Amino acid sequence: MRQYEAIHPRYETSPEVEKIVEAVSVCYQCGTCSGSCPVAPAGGMDYTPRTIIRMIQAGLEEEVLASETVWTCSACYSCAVRCPRDIDITDVMIRLRNLALIRGYPARTGIARKGKVYNVDFMKIVRRLGRIYEPELVIRYHLKTNPLNLLGMAPVGLTMLLKHKLRLLPEPVAAAGRSEVQGIFYRLEKEEARKEQEAREEGKARRTKGSGKERQE
Amino acid sequence: MKYAYFPGCSQGSTAEEYNRSLLAVARQLGSMELEEIPDWNCCGATPAAAIVSPTLPHSLAARNLSIARDMGMDEIVAPCAACYKNLRKASHDLNQNLELRAQARGALGDRELGRAPEVRHPLDVIVNDVGLDNIPVKKPLQGLRVASYYGCLLTRPAGGFDDPEYPQSMDRLMEKLGAEAVDWAYKTKCCGGGIYMFHEHVSFSMSADVLAHAKASGANVVAAGCPFCQLLLDLYQDKLGKIRKTVFNLPILFFTQLMGLAMDLDRQELGLEKLIVPPFSLLAETVDASSLGETSEKKAKPKPSRLKKWGEV
Repeated sequence: MRQYEAIHPRYETSPEVEKIVEAVSVCYQCGTCSGSCPVAPAGGMDYTPRTIIRMIQAGLEEEVLASETVWTCSACYSCAVRCPRDIDITDVMIRLRNLALIRGYPARTGIARKGKVYNVDFMKIVRRLGRIYEPELVIRYHLKTNPLNLLGMAPVGLTMLLKHKLRLLPEPVAAAGRSEVQGIFYRLEKEEARKEQEAREEGKARRTKGSGKERQE
Repeated sequence: MKYAYFPGCSQGSTAEEYNRSLLAVARQLGSMELEEIPDWNCCGATPAAAIVSPTLPHSLAARNLSIARDMGMDEIVAPCAACYKNLRKASHDLNQNLELRAQARGALGDRELGRAPEVRHPLDVIVNDVGLDNIPVKKPLQGLRVASYYGCLLTRPAGGFDDPEYPQSMDRLMEKLGAEAVDWAYKTKCCGGGIYMFHEHVSFSMSADVLAHAKASGANVVAAGCPFCQLLLDLYQDKLGKIRKTVFNLPILFFTQLMGLAMDLDRQELGLEKLIVPPFSLLAETVDASSLGETSEKKAKPKPSRLKKWGEV
């Protein structure tokens, strides 16, 4: 049964999933990506990029989307420029992040969870102000993960303050521009939700049809 | 030539000296006129890509590209490596990929999206448009052995102004300024800036590798072109040294600051005082000493230490 599942994708398909699966379909597992990755040898990933790609090919949706790798890829494009099959692996990782969020997969490890909090909060601030405001990001992030770490940040914060490297007040985009930026977020969010809903319904319809067929046989 | 200028968020805070020195250098050069894009928004950096939609970074960038187009500009200069990569990728993709273009247009609402302007890095503009021969070097950086650090996003993804594996433009610029460009293996390695908030020990081990290799190649200063690389290597150098049980003592300057020094601009304008690892004693021993007449070449050059074995550094 396990074997069967590995060969036949268990994931709900959607245009987004199809794009990812198509992109990695030409991979011949040479491992250049894992060899080029600066994060994996430093111990920052639970699965190397090559493994993740193999897992996508095998249809292991849950394992891929709950992995640490999806969140800790530093998007340095080392793998993408070296891939002999011209797969934009960084782009695949970015798409996987998005999918993990939309499908609501809980992060498997503490680091993955922290990465998720950091990324989501970053964009919440950009959505509100149109630009990033670093002190708020740092404080929000630490309050949500481990508030005690804020104390550890104090010396660094003080150094930056003394060197005038900290923005004390946010410098948002002017009101008209801000609502434009918020509009971009709003429209894309709606569009994504619609696509995902459509894919889910399609999958449901296919499954009921499929099980009916099996019963007939 | 006139360029639309996209400073990016970090140019107002952590990398304020980058902004200041770039503008000072551009003013002096004359042939590089920068006009700020009014009311620009965040380019989306790397995290944006993950949230809401894979089209979000393109759409956020599209607003900036469209404003620059309204200004009548054909080219944008973005000094932050992350902004540069994001805007460049968006500009390229929006002009090539019709499906993506339609999605971004839908997200933009009423705003018109013409042909996206080309996005350039100041290093590209200085080396390829202004030209190395047109840089007025008044005070050669004698005695400085510079490790040019390109990081990830100055040259990647491929298709930019320099080779993604072994770029040369910053090295040639440093030689033109009178410094010695050291050859080293980590010039395009990632410093881990994108993940250091939530994966500190991994990103620190990555940046410590970069510093260790710069030091081993015999460099006494690192030139950076990315605010994140500079911040991590400079602000946390103490910590990185402790991890490797050494003291690096390597000033990390933006390449524009080094240009300003060689062009003998007012040092106040270059923001040298904002660096965490102070470059002043090094400058007094090298650049300033040689301009006073006592050439630093008389002093015996310290031999670059032997590159240690893999993993030993």
